[in-house]
Amino acid sequence: MKVIEIKNVVKIYNDSEVQVHAVNGIDLSFEEGEFAAIVGPSGSGKTTLLNMLGGLDNPTEGDILINGFSVSEMYNGIEKHRSRISPVLKTIFRITIIPAVIRGIVKLPDIVKRMKAERKLIDFRLNNIGFVFQSYNLLPVLTARENTELVMQMQGVSKEMREKRTKELLGAVGLGDRLDSRPSRLSGGQQQRVAVARALASKPRFILADEPTANLDSKTTENLLDIMEQLNKMEKITFIFSTHDARVVRKARRVITIEDGKVISDKKTA
Amino acid sequence: MNYIKIAWRNLWRNKRRTAITTASILFAVFFALFMRSFQLGFYDHMIKNAIESFSGFLQVQHIDYQDDPSLENTFICTDSLINSIENRNGIKAVVPRIEVFTLASSGNQTKGALVMGIDPEKERKLSNPENLLVRYRMTRDVMTALGKKSKLPLEIKNKLEFIKNNSYTNLSTIAIDMDIEEEDNQEFLDIIGETAEIPGRYLKQDDDGVLLSDRLAKYLKLFIGDTLILLGQGYHGTTAAGIYPVRGIVRLPNPELDNKVIYMNISSAQVFTGLKNRVTTLGINLDDNSEKNMLAYQELLNNQITDPTVVVKNWLEFNKVLKQQIEGDNQSGQAFMALLYFVIFFGIFGTVLMMIHERKREFGVLIAVGMQKTRLAIIFVYEMFLMGMLGVLSGIVISLPFLYYYHVNPIRLRGDLAQIMENYGFDPVMPLQWIDMYVLWQGLIVAMMVVFACLYPLRKVVTLKEIDALRV
Repeated sequence: MKVIEIKNVVKIYNDSEVQVHAVNGIDLSFEEGEFAAIVGPSGSGKTTLLNMLGGLDNPTEGDILINGFSVSEMYNGIEKHRSRISPVLKTIFRITIIPAVIRGIVKLPDIVKRMKAERKLIDFRLNNIGFVFQSYNLLPVLTARENTELVMQMQGVSKEMREKRTKELLGAVGLGDRLDSRPSRLSGGQQQRVAVARALASKPRFILADEPTANLDSKTTENLLDIMEQLNKMEKITFIFSTHDARVVRKARRVITIEDGKVISDKKTA
Repeated sequence: MNYIKIAWRNLWRNKRRTAITTASILFAVFFALFMRSFQLGFYDHMIKNAIESFSGFLQVQHIDYQDDPSLENTFICTDSLINSIENRNGIKAVVPRIEVFTLASSGNQTKGALVMGIDPEKERKLSNPENLLVRYRMTRDVMTALGKKSKLPLEIKNKLEFIKNNSYTNLSTIAIDMDIEEEDNQEFLDIIGETAEIPGRYLKQDDDGVLLSDRLAKYLKLFIGDTLILLGQGYHGTTAAGIYPVRGIVRLPNPELDNKVIYMNISSAQVFTGLKNRVTTLGINLDDNSEKNMLAYQELLNNQITDPTVVVKNWLEFNKVLKQQIEGDNQSGQAFMALLYFVIFFGIFGTVLMMIHERKREFGVLIAVGMQKTRLAIIFVYEMFLMGMLGVLSGIVISLPFLYYYHVNPIRLRGDLAQIMENYGFDPVMPLQWIDMYVLWQGLIVAMMVVFACLYPLRKVVTLKEIDALRV
């Protein structure tokens, strides 16, 4: 069953005077339970593709369907309400010192509508996608337990359920004895394992991991990949990595190579 | 995980910055409260000096008396009028008075003076001149005698310089002016009291003598038992003249009045001026001196009095100078406080901006993993609100002991500052007002500042693009 469909996606960044084609017409799809790696040199478009898969960025052209929901459509819903004030008003704002508050009031109805549309997208991400970042990005003021619980709290899961699942997840990633440690008291590998537990906490359909092993040593990388592979098999969660790490590529069951924003190979390894 | 708990922990991520910002709020609140308390305390003191202890909060007058305070604009004051006002609930005192300007003379000295014809018993409830009777005078002779007293230690003798030429109603004020503890130095104060004590008594109900204000007595070189000559104009242009024995000397807190007031029995004043049963004013004090109550009673009494030539006025009407003085000072004080808060506002705003900038990536991550922007904004507002309240509450707590101490022990000014105050016509004392609504207002103002300081950063959070934030 296809969970993600990428249809002729193009992403162009307008960087001052130069247009950068970060993703240049990619067609791909992912099945449920895949353990896939997107590889390629720096600047090939891996992270941009991953961001669009996660609904963090919108394609310039084409569409991405996640569980049948169109990312482009959700973004269009947001963009539709980007405040478009008339050129006359814009000029007045520019040539006079009108406080930001007044500008805010003029834009308020659009801001409210945009926030409603954004709310849908954020909720969609919360319930369907888990993220693992290269630099862990845990909240430094929360313990491992609290970092993991936070996502479930946002979903409105009951306290008992949250506590139970947090213990299970942190136990599964080998941190059952570090529940109450803050990130500053954990090693890089341990922090990344908390990040994996946090990504899994919301019971997402798939997890997007952007260079998850870039800051880890070999042993920790092996350990983390084993945990993720195990969770992938146990919970049937799709894992998609963007990486240059050969250790990740070796573990992946599907390797997609991208160069200059295009897929140049797509191999299933096992 | 409670969002307030997250906000609280976030606050202490950068302990030094939070401490500095909180301290700036704390000091702003502390100084604002201290300053405001001084201002309000001083206004109270002024009102007490000039209104509660002198004119009364309300006055019954002839309709033209305020514009032309002459004896022609007096009114007939009967006992039944006084009783009908006095018998109302909430009325503390009703005091008839005759106030007339005249020439006071003794030997070669002559000076313009204000004769106040009072009912000695009734007046106890308003200005109570008996409390103002001078008991001790530090004349040159007294100072010389004290200098020779072997029982007085050198330290006390040196401090006698502070009270030279002054007059006192009690030993406590002498102790304050000498900057010594009354309890520890009672023995020495008794010696000073015995040496400097002067006779003098309050007016009896049928007394034909007068009480002289201290500065006027000094100017006219009059002492108790001496004779005072008064010469002026009476009712309907008659000549008013009289000779009065001095029964006592009073020290009025208001130096301007202390330079000119002569108290005499109202019946003597009526004879002196030829007013018979007429008075210039009927001073009224109320149990509740709030403005609202004062205006309510003014309306009530105006309705009660049927004589169309007589009117009840409140002190804001008949003492416009004091009202304007308070208003002017109040406005300048508020402008200074606004400036103080303006500076603090930018301190808070700067902190807020730094916090937003430093945590942009973190906000991006939180939104990416599913936190709604509104929830994120709420956490941020909690953080700022907690910081603001921490500063406000500690500012209030720290200022309370100071406010209480200076409320109970008002600062008594000396030297040039005291002179300036006296020139303005006020007793040189700076009392602080104890906690009141103004404390709550300071808290609310800071809370509003926090809200305003949050507006721009909140807009930043709401319009944050997670992809841009993650790239930071």
